[in-house]
Amino acid sequence: MSKITGWTGKMLRVNLTTGSIAVEDTMKYKDFIGGAGIGYKVIFDEVPQGTKAFDEANKIVIGVGPFTGTGVPCSGRTNITSLAPTNPYNAITDSHMGGNFGAFLKFAGWDAIIVEGASKTPVWLRIEDDKVSIEDASNLWGKGVIDTTHELNNVMGKEACIASIGQAGENLVHLSSIVNSVNHSAGGHGGVFGSKKLKAIGVRGTQAVHIAEGKGQEWLKLNEYMLKDIIGANNQHVVPSTPQPWAEYHDKGSRWTAQTALFWGAAEPKVETGECPAGDKNKVGLRTQKAIFDLGPVAEARTIKMGGCHSCPIRCQSNLKVPELEKYGLSGYATSTCIGFINPGTVMVNGFSDGEKQGEVALIAKSLGSRLADDYGIWSNYGQLGRDFKYSYQSGKLKEVLPKEEYDSIPWDLVESGDPGFLVEFYRRIALKEGEFSKLGLGPYWLDKEWNLGKEYWTGYGNNVWSKMAFPKHHSNEAGAQVGVLVNVMFNRDANSHTHMNMIGAGLPIEILKEVAGEVWGSPDALDAPNDYTPMNEYKAKFAKWSLDRNFLHDSITLCNWVWPMTVSPSKSRNYRGDTALEAKFFSLATGIETSEKELDLAAERIATMHRAATIKEMETIDMRNEHDIIPEWVFIDSKNPDAKPFTPGTVMLDREDMQLALTMLYKEYGWDEKTGAPTRATLERLNLKDVADELEKLNLLPK
Amino acid sequence: MFEREIEDFLEKLRTRREFLKVSGKGIVGITVTASVLNLLGCSNPDVGSASAFVTAKGILIAERNKCTGCQRCEMVCTVANDGKVHPLISRIKISRNFNYGDEITDNYRNEDGYFGNFLMTPETCKQCKEPKCAESCPADAISLNEKLGAWTVDKDKCVGCGACAAACPWHMPTIDPESKKSTKCILCGACAENCITGALKIIPWEEVAAMFTRKGYRFS
Ligand code: SF4
Ligand code: SF4
Ligand code: SF4
Repeated sequence: MSKITGWTGKMLRVNLTTGSIAVEDTMKYKDFIGGAGIGYKVIFDEVPQGTKAFDEANKIVIGVGPFTGTGVPCSGRTNITSLAPTNPYNAITDSHMGGNFGAFLKFAGWDAIIVEGASKTPVWLRIEDDKVSIEDASNLWGKGVIDTTHELNNVMGKEACIASIGQAGENLVHLSSIVNSVNHSAGGHGGVFGSKKLKAIGVRGTQAVHIAEGKGQEWLKLNEYMLKDIIGANNQHVVPSTPQPWAEYHDKGSRWTAQTALFWGAAEPKVETGECPAGDKNKVGLRTQKAIFDLGPVAEARTIKMGGCHSCPIRCQSNLKVPELEKYGLSGYATSTCIGFINPGTVMVNGFSDGEKQGEVALIAKSLGSRLADDYGIWSNYGQLGRDFKYSYQSGKLKEVLPKEEYDSIPWDLVESGDPGFLVEFYRRIALKEGEFSKLGLGPYWLDKEWNLGKEYWTGYGNNVWSKMAFPKHHSNEAGAQVGVLVNVMFNRDANSHTHMNMIGAGLPIEILKEVAGEVWGSPDALDAPNDYTPMNEYKAKFAKWSLDRNFLHDSITLCNWVWPMTVSPSKSRNYRGDTALEAKFFSLATGIETSEKELDLAAERIATMHRAATIKEMETIDMRNEHDIIPEWVFIDSKNPDAKPFTPGTVMLDREDMQLALTMLYKEYGWDEKTGAPTRATLERLNLKDVADELEKLNLLPK
Repeated sequence: MFEREIEDFLEKLRTRREFLKVSGKGIVGITVTASVLNLLGCSNPDVGSASAFVTAKGILIAERNKCTGCQRCEMVCTVANDGKVHPLISRIKISRNFNYGDEITDNYRNEDGYFGNFLMTPETCKQCKEPKCAESCPADAISLNEKLGAWTVDKDKCVGCGACAAACPWHMPTIDPESKKSTKCILCGACAENCITGALKIIPWEEVAAMFTRKGYRFS
């Protein structure tokens, strides 16, 4: 057999208690592909039942898959797997960051880093190719992400990529993140770094990532095909947002905002996005003018350019000129990942001083907030942090639970008048754990335990909380009805799955989307028109499972699930058909292991099942249906229209019994026990997970 | 003024090309003005942000305001030339000035790079008229390839000493740690062909000629 490529073949194991650094063979995890797959298996195998996120016994796996570093479009992702402090059971989750870290880890010769134990004093991990050392970080403790990174770049050289936590992670704030390259943050696990006194990991690599031997030309061809025929804009929106001569369709919700006379206005000279018709691979990077999508027309003049992750042609991040930030002691430049702009806006519960949602003050506030959050390393919890603040403030809860002195010390006039300066107070108090207020950083479940937020908090539709796992909803009943709900149900944090959403929201007419659904999942009935949902059927179950599996695959291989998979395309000559086998095609070229779409889907199913097994082990129950897969009340209520009935046009409310049927059908697709939703021995063995079955059986967690 | 600029540019272009054809001696970057760029079909209305390189295939234009730092040009360069992804040896360099531009200064928050004003410059071999790389090579491994119009490393002769990398004022050649050979740009154009925003662009000679002719200028 020819040499296996794609992977470097080596993983690092670093024990911070003993200071030992060991090298392991990645190939023993080959069945789990990489990233999250390796992470789930390592945590399942090695972290004892009952361990909490911040315990020394918890481990954290920072890993990438065979795609990262090989130049597959949108493969600049890093996956981080560990127990999650926000989860009521501290169950396993994976967080993800883009930027340069993952690719640079590969260039240094590593597929993953397993960090275990805990140091007594602050440390950072220095990786320069094969040279790995644990270094003293006492001078960095207490510093923000940017200063930390800068100091470590001074040590390692300006090219090194540094992933670091800010003060939030150090202070074990549940909602904290790990950040690399300014604004690329992995949410939820910053505190795990903090609990291990691990401030940062710096990587510098000078090696190659090999693709299969002799496959360079094929790689170039596949790349060309993808960029010309298949890829769309951000979130795989495949039609422009405005009518354009070349385009048959347009959709105003599309992030394909490029158009004539729309510019990166602060570029010198300005850059016109122009029309970027399908087929022109030299314009893919201009399609997504994300600043105006996120911040409105005022952002055009401030757009320096679009940024994004290593290898990604989509560029979904706005890099802006905002000199007003200098007033707050920051540089006059701002940037953010997708959610970062939205969350500070949500914190400004009373709007902005100029009264405009997409005006200058809103732009300044959102830029300021995102810069602060990224520097402190605070996670927005998919916007929930802002919503939790809003609920606590507006319901009077904050006044009730905060000591009077503390309450009075908060400059409420700023939030009342819509002054961005409020955000300086908001983020500092949370990151530095100042007072009772900072408990907002605990996340919904633990915050409720502390402040008793009440039933309304949990059932209010606008609060978005997914009980009882206590994470925010993420493309649920409004996104494919039962499909979206099933996707949300499976996770231990917000679903972060766009497999289903990008297809539904691609911008193509529903007739075309239904045809595609028929081809991919066996029947057009897998998909309904938005706000006009029909009862559950087996094709929806297939759609849901496929969405989940591809998400798990992307987090393992490692690819961006905001853009992948390529279910549809912008190409009229292809009749808008995407190519769901692209992952397999790239996999074969990257690794040299000829692999079909079906084979890769099986690996994806294995990883999804592994996640389930780990959750069962950590929750110490097999009754997933009643203990884990709980669907929140608001899914069954239409708060805007109390008389609405499920499956009538105009409502996204669903039916209780129908959703139980949906669960049963999904379990069936996976071959899990239909009563409990736990994987059976037969299924585990079919997926080559006999050792997992044995372990679960030993723990009495295998369905009879 | 406008006329003068164009004439001047055409003259430079002509002499460089002639130089290239006749003596086979190389290529130099020319700063391009707005009017010239417009004539070349670039919508770039500003002066000084773009540089043009006269190559055997056409004019290579690099516009820094359009570079998004995706680093795909580096990947494509090394897959095309080396069959692997290896930014260190990429003949076009982005990664090395991605974070802080040319160097880290105390004022980095306001200077080039992702930690500053977000700007980064795609750097590539300038195919010097009198290349320091070739001059310094003890093995005589670097010579002008007439077909490519580029200073090219003869892999058989190269002993991987790194003198070329050290001698080049911009440190463009890099020694591949695996093959122990010097890598430098041969103007294959893969980077430009695959740049996602058209920040790098090769305008073929036929098009350059056609565009000038259309506007009433003579260009041969
Ligand atoms: S491909 Fe183009 S946009 Fe991307 S880094 Fe290279 S020059 Fe910049
Ligand atoms: S490698 Fe450097 S010295 Fe040699 S031709 Fe290129 S730019 Fe000039
Ligand atoms: S590395 Fe090779 S090409 Fe460069 S100077 Fe040494 S022998 Fe010449």
